[in-house]
Amino acid sequence: MNTKFLKNTTPFLAAGALLLGGCQPDIDAPKVDKGSADFTRYIAVGNSLTAGFMDNGLYLEGQQNSYPSILAQQFQQAGGGEFVQPLFNQANQQNGSGFLRLTGFDATGSPITTFVPGNAGRIPSSPASAPYTKFTGPINNLGVPGIRLADIQTAKFGNIQTTPLNAATFNPYFERITPDGSDVSYFQRVKAEAATATFFTTWLGNNDVLGFATSGGASTTSTITRTDTFTLKSQRIINVLTANGAKGVVSTIPDVTGIPFFTTVGPRLKATLVANNVPGLVIQTGAAAGLANSTNRKQIATTDIRDASGGRQLFTLTGAPFVSLIGRPTGRPWRFVYAQSGQPAAGFPLFLAAYGIDTLQALGVTAQNPFPSAFVLDDVEQGQVNTATTAFNNALRTQALAKNLAIFDANVFFTSVSNNGFATNGVRNTAAFISGNLFSLDGVHPTPRGYAAIANEMIKVINAKYGSSLQLVDPNQYRGVLLP
Amino acid sequence: MTLKSLLLVGGALLTGTAASAGGYQVTLAGQKNNGMGGVGVGLSLDQAAMFYNPGALAMVKDRGVQVGVNATIARQAFRAEAGGAQRELQNTTSTPFNLYAGFGPAEGKFRAGVAVYTPFGSQLKYADGWEGRFALTDIDLKSIYVQPTVSYAITDQVSVGAGLMILAYGAVNLQRDIPAQNSSGGYGHIELDGKSKTKFGYNVGVMYKPSEKLSVGLNYRSKINATVENGDVTFSGLSNTAAASFQATKFGATLPLPATASVGIGVMPNEKLTLGFDVNWTEWSAYETLNFTFDAPVNGATSSSSKRYYEDALTFRIGGQYQLTSGLTVRAGAAYDNSPVRDGFVTPETPDADRRTATIGASYKFGEHFGVDLSAQYVNLKKRTETQNDLINNGTTDRVAGTYKTVAVVPGIGLNYTF
Repeated sequence: MNTKFLKNTTPFLAAGALLLGGCQPDIDAPKVDKGSADFTRYIAVGNSLTAGFMDNGLYLEGQQNSYPSILAQQFQQAGGGEFVQPLFNQANQQNGSGFLRLTGFDATGSPITTFVPGNAGRIPSSPASAPYTKFTGPINNLGVPGIRLADIQTAKFGNIQTTPLNAATFNPYFERITPDGSDVSYFQRVKAEAATATFFTTWLGNNDVLGFATSGGASTTSTITRTDTFTLKSQRIINVLTANGAKGVVSTIPDVTGIPFFTTVGPRLKATLVANNVPGLVIQTGAAAGLANSTNRKQIATTDIRDASGGRQLFTLTGAPFVSLIGRPTGRPWRFVYAQSGQPAAGFPLFLAAYGIDTLQALGVTAQNPFPSAFVLDDVEQGQVNTATTAFNNALRTQALAKNLAIFDANVFFTSVSNNGFATNGVRNTAAFISGNLFSLDGVHPTPRGYAAIANEMIKVINAKYGSSLQLVDPNQYRGVLLP
Repeated sequence: MTLKSLLLVGGALLTGTAASAGGYQVTLAGQKNNGMGGVGVGLSLDQAAMFYNPGALAMVKDRGVQVGVNATIARQAFRAEAGGAQRELQNTTSTPFNLYAGFGPAEGKFRAGVAVYTPFGSQLKYADGWEGRFALTDIDLKSIYVQPTVSYAITDQVSVGAGLMILAYGAVNLQRDIPAQNSSGGYGHIELDGKSKTKFGYNVGVMYKPSEKLSVGLNYRSKINATVENGDVTFSGLSNTAAASFQATKFGATLPLPATASVGIGVMPNEKLTLGFDVNWTEWSAYETLNFTFDAPVNGATSSSSKRYYEDALTFRIGGQYQLTSGLTVRAGAAYDNSPVRDGFVTPETPDADRRTATIGASYKFGEHFGVDLSAQYVNLKKRTETQNDLINNGTTDRVAGTYKTVAVVPGIGLNYTF
């Protein structure tokens, strides 16, 4: 009986063991194909976003997580070659230009940041500091923080021998990738690299409007680039990139008014004003001098401060330390604004006099001591920003279409992120400062996760345009904002 | 008394458990049924009728005690939409079990008994660092029903039965990572652990046997809402500044254990052969959202809600047994189980898809009273993909986009003693 039982059940047991052994299923890896694109030599043209700038600085971690670097890794699965970035030395220059680090939150929940000093050279406030270690060989990432499209044909842009430290005529990051004594322009540098490139991304133009916006429209030097200039230069850069038949991606400019730099301080201020029954503020607008009775004073209603419920007026992140002084007599914000100009301290009283400021008056609620223009991007200034952004993007799209290139519409993407956030693999990222994880501590530049999201969007348009099947990356593998 | 001999055959040789079913249902309630594709509503095989159809219990000739246990060995492959390597589960084995004791007069029309079984459950442990870690890293869901049952044969052809389903034990443990990073980039982790309150439901059935060769059964098991109050919330790995946003220590949640209505047909062409056909209709639509409430804010909110929107689902089962010798009976069966989880709503805790199940089984009877039942099921879930766009369109971005493929092997063994 027993043997019979065993004999009869042995096949059954064997079948069971077989099933167990062969149980683990497999899903085939997706096929990666380059389509009609050729990723053999990819170059990235752009500004701080392309360089991997974040936390108000360019440093090694940001460079390593730049979207061109992430893209290049994905390209390498489809025949892409080596991708050289001008990285800061890991051993002793990893802090680059210096950057912000979050150290905690104060009692009101406002973030406390500390500046980690740079250790690579070129201290922004000190023209005499040593230049960054040069990186003059062939490179693939040509991102230069701070460069405007308007600057690309500025000669001597990387040669401090012949130019003073002026952002419009000299750039220390371009100096870094320019041979000593060379007067080449950015355009010429790109042209040399483009001669052997098979694929490119270009994302220029943000700074042609961003500088105006982040200075609250109060800077006499950071003005909006003329549209005809922008159109001409965008045409030139795209022409030179495609001259040898390279394919690539042209990126548009985001609407800067959706970034945390402009959306963080206002809502908090508005809530405070509402709680204290303050009906409105007096602000200064524009860059021109003028006394208390001049047109550079502007009344805004508390309800007109933009928050989730509406309103138009935007307050910058740089003004965060000063909004709590509103209603009190103070000269602190003015000293800060004046210090930014780099003028001798002795000129401060003249500055106050020229703008009709009486620091004994209550800040932000009197025409004698309005809230400084540098900290407010008001509705009129936003109109200028929007008009320029639209015109610039029209130019970029026109050029891209003319050359049959892929377009990463960063404007559409960032607007979507600003409105709805960005969910990926169970994580909801948003455009909120710090908690949103997509924007770094400067409120303007992305975190590594934000850059990964950008790389994914570019991969999507590349796949769509060139019939490739590049893999996306998991943005969650890239860090957001680190909470100490 | 052919009827009687048929009942004898059924009682002696059929034990079973249905294979796993869709969602987090586990239909492995009888070792004989397990070998026959999970049929049983239209049959009166053994004491497991208390689960499959209490109305059939009065037609089970034997009284007896039986116990069965299964090992659900699941293997899964996952590929995230965003690329990356294939992920595989950390292998765990869950062990659904069943226990029945049936009593009553030898020739009477009345039967009573107690059933203990595990109708719902899920246990998964995902690979460290997998893409869905912020949705789920671990789940362990357990339920044990205890069911006192009575059954009465109104005539030789019709019997009815009912059981009081008691959710005697329910436990849930859910864990996931929190997308808040400390200064070294590490993520936080949350663990929810709770026990369900005792709840009640019912299991009713009717059996109709118009001839010796045919039987028809109907069964309805009601819904029980498994409710956790004051479950424990434990956070780990959070930095000091992040921890300020994660203060909860207790949670509450309710998980529906849905009702199932079934119809089954038994066909006995001769004394050695029994065939069964079942259709189960599980009212999964009761599972709309998974809601948690917390005693203190978790990242700014004291409650959370996640869409499930399950659909009612049908399962089709077919199975048979053949008595080879006086002691040995062999079985085979198959089932097709429609997933209650809609496209774009698949979650890591129930990475469900339509299931195709093949089963085999055998029983051997040692002497008059003692028998052993073996069963094995092979469950193959269809490959299932959801994209991030699907998740966005459905408002279900709290889970991971990618492709799941799961198979499971479920061996089982049962012992029965009849008198």
